Amino acid sequence: MRAVLILLVTGPLLAALACLRLPPRRAQAVTIVSGAASLLGALALVPGVDRHTPAVGFLRADALSVVFVLATAFCYATTAVHSVGYLRSEQGTAEAPRYARRFYVGLNLFCWAMLAAPLVNGLALLWIAIEVTTVISALLVAIDDTEGATEASWKYVLIASVGLGIALLATIFMYYAGSQLLGGGYDLAFGPLVRVAHALPAQPVRLAYVLAVVGFGTKAGLVPMHTWLPDAHAEAPTPVSALLSGALLADSFYAVLRYHQVAVRTLGPAFPDAVLLAFGLASLVLAALYVLDQRDIKRLLAYSSVEHMGILAIGVSFGTPVALAGVLLQVLAHAAAKATAFFGAGALLRGYGTKDIEEIHAAADRMPVTGVLFVTAVLALSALPPFGIFRSEFQIVSGGLAAGHDAPAAVLVALVTVAFLGLSLAATRMVLQPGPAGEPAWPGDGPGSPARRGEPSWWMVTAMAVGIGALLVLGVHPPGALTRLLHTAALALGGGT
Amino acid sequence: MNPLPDPAVQVLQVATVFVFAPGISGVIATVEARVQGRRGPRVLQPYYDLGKLYRKETLVPENASWVFLAAPLVAFVGYLSVPLLIPVLTTYGLPLGYQGDILGGGFLLTLAGFVTALAGADTGAPYAQLGSSRAMTFGALVEPTILFVVFTVAAITATDLPYHEAATVRSAAGQIVRPAHLLAAAALFMAILADTGRIPVETHASTLEFGMIDEGRTLEHSGPALALFRHASAIKQLVLYTILANVFLVPWGLSSSGRPASVALAIGTLLAKAIGIGCVVAVIDDSFAKLRLYKITEFCAAAFVLSVLAVFTLFLGGS
Amino acid sequence: MGTAPGAFAGAASTVAALVLLIEFAMLRAPMLRSQIRLYAVQSFVVSALAGIVAHDRRIGELYVLAVLSFLLKVVAVPLVVSRLLRDADTEIAGTGAFGVASEFLIAIVVAAFGFFAVGTLHISSAVLPRSALALAAAVVLVAFVLIIVRSDVISQAVGFFSLENGVSLASLVVAAGLPLILEVAFLFDLLVAVVVFGILMRVHHGRSATLSTAGLTRLRG
Repeated sequence: MRAVLILLVTGPLLAALACLRLPPRRAQAVTIVSGAASLLGALALVPGVDRHTPAVGFLRADALSVVFVLATAFCYATTAVHSVGYLRSEQGTAEAPRYARRFYVGLNLFCWAMLAAPLVNGLALLWIAIEVTTVISALLVAIDDTEGATEASWKYVLIASVGLGIALLATIFMYYAGSQLLGGGYDLAFGPLVRVAHALPAQPVRLAYVLAVVGFGTKAGLVPMHTWLPDAHAEAPTPVSALLSGALLADSFYAVLRYHQVAVRTLGPAFPDAVLLAFGLASLVLAALYVLDQRDIKRLLAYSSVEHMGILAIGVSFGTPVALAGVLLQVLAHAAAKATAFFGAGALLRGYGTKDIEEIHAAADRMPVTGVLFVTAVLALSALPPFGIFRSEFQIVSGGLAAGHDAPAAVLVALVTVAFLGLSLAATRMVLQPGPAGEPAWPGDGPGSPARRGEPSWWMVTAMAVGIGALLVLGVHPPGALTRLLHTAALALGGGT
Repeated sequence: MNPLPDPAVQVLQVATVFVFAPGISGVIATVEARVQGRRGPRVLQPYYDLGKLYRKETLVPENASWVFLAAPLVAFVGYLSVPLLIPVLTTYGLPLGYQGDILGGGFLLTLAGFVTALAGADTGAPYAQLGSSRAMTFGALVEPTILFVVFTVAAITATDLPYHEAATVRSAAGQIVRPAHLLAAAALFMAILADTGRIPVETHASTLEFGMIDEGRTLEHSGPALALFRHASAIKQLVLYTILANVFLVPWGLSSSGRPASVALAIGTLLAKAIGIGCVVAVIDDSFAKLRLYKITEFCAAAFVLSVLAVFTLFLGGS
Repeated sequence: MGTAPGAFAGAASTVAALVLLIEFAMLRAPMLRSQIRLYAVQSFVVSALAGIVAHDRRIGELYVLAVLSFLLKVVAVPLVVSRLLRDADTEIAGTGAFGVASEFLIAIVVAAFGFFAVGTLHISSAVLPRSALALAAAVVLVAFVLIIVRSDVISQAVGFFSLENGVSLASLVVAAGLPLILEVAFLFDLLVAVVVFGILMRVHHGRSATLSTAGLTRLRG
């Protein structure tokens, strides 16, 4: 177990260092190996962790951490596979090897930081890990060197850093609260902090909690601090967008959950739940409305991520173990579904040369497998059975109704339907609607342009298929070990053990 | 030796300010010139100027009213009444000293300034009116600062009698270093720079009418009326310096017994403090440039920030 | 309210008030060079305060922190930013969207909110007086105002760095005992963030040949 922890934290770092020197093909192979190894490591952690908590040095893996490690590792592995196809199908330029090197080093470093964040033991180290993910991802967003990417990366780094400055203030206040009981010089480790949480002074914890929700919520995409999100997720290269939406938002939400864990025990469930409910509803409302009116595929998917973060926040605010287990399942399922949707968008981008929804037609004719998988992923995001998100949202809503939160649950269902409308309209229009008569069925065809029929790359298709498969597994019959893991984590989060 | 009777000391306070105010202006002008590398005018030059003006005749514009001639007197008397209320020479309150608190003193100063501006507007001449309207506008911007400074001091000492405030400041070394006190003193200093018409608000050295604010108000007066105005503005300067020094910064050296020797010493220390502040003002005069007219609002805003911060730090943590 | 807080507490509060005043001065400074210099002075004041606290409360670790924060925030960070400024050729950034006096008023209101919000929490510390915590909160909020009203990358970046200064001041008040290794990690994290900021500022300047962010309006909705 301990060896797995160390492997998870050092493997991607070594891969990144290796990619500095290796030619692009080898770098791709190393990345895929590292991703697969991380996924296997994360899966290995799942069975035993609900009984005992492996810890070594400043690393610690309890049930809550493992959920997020699993989501991140899954995104890592599938993105590694997808990026092979994504980079290869780009028009070759003289810049390609240098771009590929920077890309792979950045990708591995980014995944290293995102894997380390749920595994470090302590709120201070958690802040440091999330700050590292911010700086690396800001560079990755800017890597494409287009005007939009420059603008998006500046907005991202400024807003996210300011948010993390507020989160640092939260860490300091939480330290102050803990130091009244644990003495100065303690290091904000989770175990001791949770154990004394019921006796902490209320005022500092209240302040720390609100600051943490605002600060880490900036990185998690909660409204009204989400303004960087659509830009960054839309302008980054597609594999990076998949990681940002699938894994980084989840890791930032994990930080909020850690503060929630302490606050619920100190303040009782009323105040923390109210705060999360407010932010969650705001996110859900705004995102659902924006989803209805988008022109850019990736921006559409980015707003869908905001919507899902809102759902997660509302789910946590319901507070019952069923709802909390649903939230954690949604983290996993959303990672798989969003990553797959972004992979599909990337394939469409490569195939059609544009991100504009209006200009993409009849993908089902031209790239049948990608088209079908893309529509499936988008519908899965809108909670279509039998995929994982249906199960998780069902759990969240039923947990909310059981706890008597009827109104928020009803609002949630209504707004999810609105978002479903927007998403499915866009996706089916792109995939099924034939182009207007007189126009070539796919742009880029015509005299002199290269033939672009068929799938841009089978690597991309494989990644998408794995994602859909995972969603099916999560939705139809999640493995017993996973269910136990989610249950343990839900109890730890909600004030049980 | 017997202590002097209180009324005598009170008269002596007013007389000190009356006699020495032009001298302070003269010292400031000389210091400023020396810093610039010139020899400068003699220190007693303002007295000679006043004497010369008294010997000349007064010219009154045709369309001026009685305000034109009454204003110098009212301003002069107003400024001269303020030393009755503030600790100029003694640490204990004198008989007429309780007739008004620090707000009352502020009211008298403002009244005198208002009357001067009124006289300038009364003449109908363009430059005088320009100076009057500007003086009123910028005076209004400086008022909130002064009010907040008064609030700060009043909140520290739970009273707004200047005598008690000075006593509080003298009571402990810690009182000087508290941020509220220092911030309020800095804000008051900036307000004094604005009120006495010094750099960076206005320049004493030139006669450029477009830049005049305080000086412009008295452009149309001549002869004894102008002498009264000049004397009055010098008195205002010394009074403001006295408030800054004897209430905020260095309230030591005041006579606590009323004996002639200690009163004489008090006069000496008062002049020394005033000359000290004047030297600082002269150095500022020579180091900075005059602000553009529209930037003066920034200066006033900065002074306001200092005074507001003084109040805030006072209400949190008691420091 | 009449009792003085004691020489150390008074002096420490005055130094903390100085940090807030420098923040206001940054709101006013139109030239980019003076913004950077003001940031250097502000970091110096915070480091000096850390040194004073270390000396008076006899917390040895804070000496190391003071020296490190001096080296990083007073020397290294302004150097990185001024190097970019030298390459960029722009000198004046304008004082922001509203004009100095209005911005001062907005900043005063915001700082007042911070003061009284923190003041109602009754968080007391053995290290520094409570007013220092309120001042730190005010610094953070006024830095926010600075970032919002300015429209060029250097002012926004310097605004963010001064926000970190406010957070450091707050940590001096309530978290003086935080293990040294964590404080050092925070500092180095800040340095990494500065490097990334520098890279992205160069990218922005390389693409749009200006330091202004007024043209970043392509991505909307």
